[in-house]
Amino acid sequence: MKLQTRYSQATIISSISVLLIAGIGYYFLLHYVLNKQLDEALRVEEVEIVDYITKKHALPEATTFKDQRIEFKKVTSVVPRRFSTVKVYEPEEKEYELSRQLIFTVKVEDDYYAASVTKSQEEIERLVGLILLITLGLILLLGILLFFFNRFILKRLWRPFYDNLSAIKQFDLNAPLAIKFQQTRIDEFNEMNASVNVMTGKVVRDYMSLKNFADHASHEMQTPLAVINSRLDVLIQDPGLSETSLHQIQSIYNSVEKMSRLCQSLLLLTKIENNQFTEKKSVNIVEIVKNKLIELEEWTQENLITIKTNLDELNISMNRQLADILISNLIINAVKHSNADKKVEIFLEKNSFIISNPGETKLDTALIFDRFWKSEYSDGTGLGLAIVKHICAIYCFKLSYDYKEGRHFFRIIFNAED
Amino acid sequence: MKLLIIEDEKELAEGMMSYLRHERYTCEVAFTYEQGLQKIDTTDYDCIALDITLPGGSGLKLLQDLKNNNKSDGVIIISAKNSIEDRIEGLKLGADDYLVKPFHLSELAARINAIIRRKVHHGNNNVTFNEIVIDTSKKEVTVQNKFVELTRKEYELLLYFISNQRRVISKNALVSHLWNQEMGRGESVDFIYTHIKNLRKKLQEKGSGDYIKSIYGMGYKLTDQ
Repeated sequence: MKLQTRYSQATIISSISVLLIAGIGYYFLLHYVLNKQLDEALRVEEVEIVDYITKKHALPEATTFKDQRIEFKKVTSVVPRRFSTVKVYEPEEKEYELSRQLIFTVKVEDDYYAASVTKSQEEIERLVGLILLITLGLILLLGILLFFFNRFILKRLWRPFYDNLSAIKQFDLNAPLAIKFQQTRIDEFNEMNASVNVMTGKVVRDYMSLKNFADHASHEMQTPLAVINSRLDVLIQDPGLSETSLHQIQSIYNSVEKMSRLCQSLLLLTKIENNQFTEKKSVNIVEIVKNKLIELEEWTQENLITIKTNLDELNISMNRQLADILISNLIINAVKHSNADKKVEIFLEKNSFIISNPGETKLDTALIFDRFWKSEYSDGTGLGLAIVKHICAIYCFKLSYDYKEGRHFFRIIFNAED
Repeated sequence: MKLLIIEDEKELAEGMMSYLRHERYTCEVAFTYEQGLQKIDTTDYDCIALDITLPGGSGLKLLQDLKNNNKSDGVIIISAKNSIEDRIEGLKLGADDYLVKPFHLSELAARINAIIRRKVHHGNNNVTFNEIVIDTSKKEVTVQNKFVELTRKEYELLLYFISNQRRVISKNALVSHLWNQEMGRGESVDFIYTHIKNLRKKLQEKGSGDYIKSIYGMGYKLTDQ
């Protein structure tokens, strides 16, 4: 529910209920006060009647005048004095009317008379009714006014808030532009905008430094590695080195190389994540596969690996370099980890690339595409398949792994051709 | 032959110097942009090994200065950056080659030799080691004027050996020179043995001495001593 609607409801409900309660209270209070006044008038009549009897020693005439009626009734003993509200039949209007009545006892000579003075309440009822009507009218008017006020004024008051909210919604960490806020005269909004600006600024800075960290770290590591490599290159020139020393050096060389490959792969991964490969064109996948196979020919022949291909023409719109890396990583992965019958199969058909190689056990489907995951036989960096996964992710290609009849299957389903 | 190394990492610069300080080369070193600028202004070098990130300015700026002054020094960029964009930028500015860190000094020496062949010995593209002659323009090898038929990899190996003659070259350096980085190294290292064996056989068949010596199986050396 919108704040505006909620606020509108709250104000309308609370003000109308307060006014209703006040109205009801007002009604009863007015009723009470006017009744008191009526009773006062009855008491004045009583005094006049008693005065008359004291002076004249006779009952005054029973009269009916306008709203007032005086009657006497002979009683045997004193009746208690009391005020009451009664219904009296009004012959002129042919209906019962609410009236206020005072009954008291007067004594003329030795006889007791119950005197009753009755005054019609009709006038009061009419007055109070009118006041009630006016009050209700005012409440209704207020409700309508509040409704329109909320609708238009509040909407205008909150407009900068909604404008800024949509500006915030458009904020994208991958393409961070400063959010353009509307200046308003409302302090709270300006304060919020300032805070959001400070916060996004910090988020952007942190995100950038995080993004650049792997990049910088990998770069910074290259120089020390180059130092190690070059010093080893100089060291092995020493004719006094023993065979054992040279073997130690060999192992250092291998580690430096592995480290360097690791850095390069991490760097590549970061670049893919940072969307630094933006250039896109139609790439002929068949050509890439064929070139890669030529590159690996010597290796596959030496290791008695046969590669069976079935390549249908396939063009995919993507970055050429990434296409190379994608296909190359999968082929190298398959070639390197082939054992037993050593038959690698590559299929390119319709919209998918499928590569399979023999393997002894099913790999952990949940983990194979994770960074630094390696099977126990692998001497690689553990980043090859992670890179494949990331490339597929940025182009929304569907990447899957399956194990069937002693073979690993990696499949990429590309997007619709264009 | 005069070489200049502009590299801020002293350890690396010293390693490069001590390897390249060959009988044929004199080698100087600059550690900062300023020092590099001074040396380039006062001396003509046959080849400059140039790092891009230098204290005091970019190596690419030095390269620009060099080209603006119409100097013909050969330039090989040595950089920690390995992106196509960086390579293209360096080569656009007129660098002759681009080598990514970490590299083997034998690779650096081979590439510097290639640059000097192109830049300095115009016309004369022959590389020789005793009776072995490589015509690099035709990619042909002769021993005592007899043509030796080599595969592409064998040819590259021989050229690499002669560029680093009388030096021990590790198997790792040979592998990374001949093959792409990606393949598992354990396997590729064994191919080297086959290629070298074939190369030696082919050279000796034409009457060349047996110059390629194995150094305890961790590397090789082309030597006549």
